Amino acid sequence: MYGDLGQKLVQHAKRTQSLAHLPPYQTEMVRAVTREVRDLDRDVSEILAPFDGAFDPSANPATAYTLLVHHLCMRRNKRCLLAYHRVRVQRIEEMCWSGVVQEDEAVDGDGEASGERNALSPEEEEYLRGYNDLLAAAKGTWTDIDLTGSLEPPKDLFVDVRVLKDAGEIQTEYGAINLTKNSQFFVRQGDVERLIQQGFLQKLS
Amino acid sequence: MDIDDILQEFDSGSQQASSAGDLSALTTAWIAERSAPEILPFEHAILERLTERIRQQIELVETETGNMDPQANFRLILLQTELERVKYLVRAYLRVRINKIDKYSFHILSTPLRSRLAPSELAYLKSHLALLNNHYVSSFLRNFPEQLRRLDDTAGGISMVEEPDLDSAVFCRVVKRISDEEATVRIPGTDTEFRLALGDVYVVRYSAVRQFVEKGEVELI
Repeated sequence: MYGDLGQKLVQHAKRTQSLAHLPPYQTEMVRAVTREVRDLDRDVSEILAPFDGAFDPSANPATAYTLLVHHLCMRRNKRCLLAYHRVRVQRIEEMCWSGVVQEDEAVDGDGEASGERNALSPEEEEYLRGYNDLLAAAKGTWTDIDLTGSLEPPKDLFVDVRVLKDAGEIQTEYGAINLTKNSQFFVRQGDVERLIQQGFLQKLS
Repeated sequence: MDIDDILQEFDSGSQQASSAGDLSALTTAWIAERSAPEILPFEHAILERLTERIRQQIELVETETGNMDPQANFRLILLQTELERVKYLVRAYLRVRINKIDKYSFHILSTPLRSRLAPSELAYLKSHLALLNNHYVSSFLRNFPEQLRRLDDTAGGISMVEEPDLDSAVFCRVVKRISDEEATVRIPGTDTEFRLALGDVYVVRYSAVRQFVEKGEVELI
């Protein structure tokens, strides 16, 4: 049936919304739905060909309905595809905002981040790079504010943090701190904001 | 020297007094932006003054960090806490706007609403749309028949352009006296009428009070 695959794609998108990790891109399904649209479009032109541009719907109601159904199916498939891609795009943007993926990190091949990235299609990969650049530009306009910072209102200047993963040495205005796993520090929140977001540190309340 | 003295010195020493107005103005703008379904005009002047002050404060903090005097240290902590809070406010304000810009991008770009954006926001909006468009086209739209490739199609019963729901409910407070002939508001499409009196709080459709919000006579809360 027309539209079945589109439906599957939307279900996939729906499921993606409740998953913690982005599932792999459904290249096959996307291709199949696109193929369906192309087939339908070819059908439409074949049906219309004998009329030579002078098709009168009231004279041929049956043909007119066929065309209508074809057309609606194409539109529906387009919506399904858009919905599927949009959900994924939003996830990608979230990843950019939270700083999970950074260019340099991808090169290192950090386990979690590269796992997420494997799920992306080449086009999405491209989009991610583009959006990251866009975000960097937006941050550049507001250098002092740190646009991607926490959206929780700050309560304390200093926080207790526990180190979950080795994060190396960081420089603060009170000197250098070596963040080794399982150690605990009392540091200025602004200094470690990014590391908390990226999951290196855990804030202790 | 007790805490009042320190606070006083803190006030006079760092020009905070003059910025109090801007801060509360930005807080109001932020709350309004969060409540209003559509995007509101960008607060150029306030943000310009605030970012300038944030920069000054950061410099001040940097120059004072080396000072080991306990009193100065305490002052510094106050300064930094305040700084973090102001930064949070500005960040939250910008982020809620970006959220709306992303959601209603086509709508904003094609209506006079685009004049409400800051130049940087407009640039962001355009590049973001171009990116998205590019992504959709390269992912699947390039294989589509010509007439189905548009992303801002309004034909076929369902518009692809997402618009804010101006009829959604908002909480608002009347903050200025409104002249008698204007004060009566009729909810569009119903028989309900009510008068806006100074200091009153209403829950009402945004569309009914929109013009008053734009004039600053009613604030969203």
